[in-house]
Amino acid sequence: MDFSAIYTIARQELVINIRNKWTVIFAVVFGILVVSISYFGIMVEGFSGMQSFTRTSASLLNLVLYIVPLVALIMGTLAFTGDKGSTELLFSQPVSRHEVLLGKLFGVFFSIVLSTLLGFALAGAIIVAGNGPEGLTSYVFFVALSLALALVFLTLSLLVSTASRRKSKAFGVTLFLWFFFVLLYDLLALGGTLLMKGQSANAFLFVSIFGNPVDMVRVATLIILDNITIFGAAGAAMLRFLGGQTTSIVLLITGLLAWVVVPLFLSARMMRRQDI
Amino acid sequence: MINVEHLTKRFGRFTAARDISFTVKEGEVFAFLGPNGSGKTTTMKSIVGLNVPSSGRVLVNGLDVLRYPKETRQFISYLPQRVVFPENLTAREVIHFYCKLRRLPPERGDEVLDKARFNGFSDKFIGEFSGGMVQRLGLAVISLPDTSILLLDEPTANLDPQGVKRFREFVLNQKENGKTIVFSTHLLAEAEQLADRAGIFVNGRLVAEETIENLRQTHRAQNTIEDVYLHYVGANQDE
Repeated sequence: MDFSAIYTIARQELVINIRNKWTVIFAVVFGILVVSISYFGIMVEGFSGMQSFTRTSASLLNLVLYIVPLVALIMGTLAFTGDKGSTELLFSQPVSRHEVLLGKLFGVFFSIVLSTLLGFALAGAIIVAGNGPEGLTSYVFFVALSLALALVFLTLSLLVSTASRRKSKAFGVTLFLWFFFVLLYDLLALGGTLLMKGQSANAFLFVSIFGNPVDMVRVATLIILDNITIFGAAGAAMLRFLGGQTTSIVLLITGLLAWVVVPLFLSARMMRRQDI
Repeated sequence: MINVEHLTKRFGRFTAARDISFTVKEGEVFAFLGPNGSGKTTTMKSIVGLNVPSSGRVLVNGLDVLRYPKETRQFISYLPQRVVFPENLTAREVIHFYCKLRRLPPERGDEVLDKARFNGFSDKFIGEFSGGMVQRLGLAVISLPDTSILLLDEPTANLDPQGVKRFREFVLNQKENGKTIVFSTHLLAEAEQLADRAGIFVNGRLVAEETIENLRQTHRAQNTIEDVYLHYVGANQDE
């Protein structure tokens, strides 16, 4: 594996994405939303000023779970189904297909990292200035989980783009994936429990978390923020099922890693014998 | 230098290239002639390893392109049929990117940009370029490394007459430097002017592989290379 080739391709992909107007628009809109939620979230309760890190993370969670997968899928599909003439020239260079694949993946990922970190960092700086650094560690974990979610959906878009080849088809499939994981999956999981009874329904529900990276990030964030108790007995049962707080986090992070590695492996395998 | 052995390429039920075999010797200029969909691009993409043959194989300097893709591509510079570059990069950024991939110093890129007469446009975004300038940038990219083989897929398709003239000078210059060149074209006069030999593709088959002179002599009844070409196309389409 030629790491210098991967770095070169990643760097070029990063520059292309940073100069893309959609990346800039996303960074600005995300930044405004993050700062606004941090500031105005507490106003509904009759207070003014910034929320603490813990409250901000909890407030931002839903925004992240909706927006980050969508942006990762769109940016990934745009990058991985590039123009034929450009792709052919790149793949005709003395670099392996896997190096091109990894270079492009890292390039797009770092552009998402930069555009989301802008908003997160801005909100973080304002909160530190207003409320002090209490809860900063949880906030950093939350940001890391958000980026992990972006990476998962980026590798999913890579898999879809590699399998479908055509930009229009890839976009259709990735939008369905977003709809499935963000909106439909939980309904299906809850529906599934209706067919079961007692313990098996609980076990099914807890195991189903691992079938959806969005749910994994949601649960992991709530555990980190020490908010799992908002689920009451169900939250306690889930923690017990997963083996306690630390074990749960390790399990969920391992699960997320699998959601990155498996699509990446499948894409690389598919691409090995594919016509460019 | 290039050995194509019984190459067949199918896309689903469609056979784009059918049992194609030919050899291109070192320092030779070989032209692919044929109508659209005759298998020229498929064959060229198989030589550079972008297409995976359904059967048969391609050897470049004795190495199987599928088994040693990175090694064989060290010998090859390939210009796709419709070259495209990201619109939000400058010509210099593109050239430096390919310099890095080929492990060449950036000065080499600057030198090639100067030779390609990109002065004044080197630091402009490609989005501002005309089709001909993009094609010129493509030619600049492939002339960066000192590879022994150039593969050019319809290189003059988007060029204006001045660009076509420059391309011819480019090929003749590369030929003088001993490069092996394979190019595809619809312009038969181009093949006549530049190529040592030509392969005529019809319906996915290589129906003739001759020197330009032999093609003429074999078909004395035909006056020009165009007549020869149309003769093969007609004969094979009647089949």
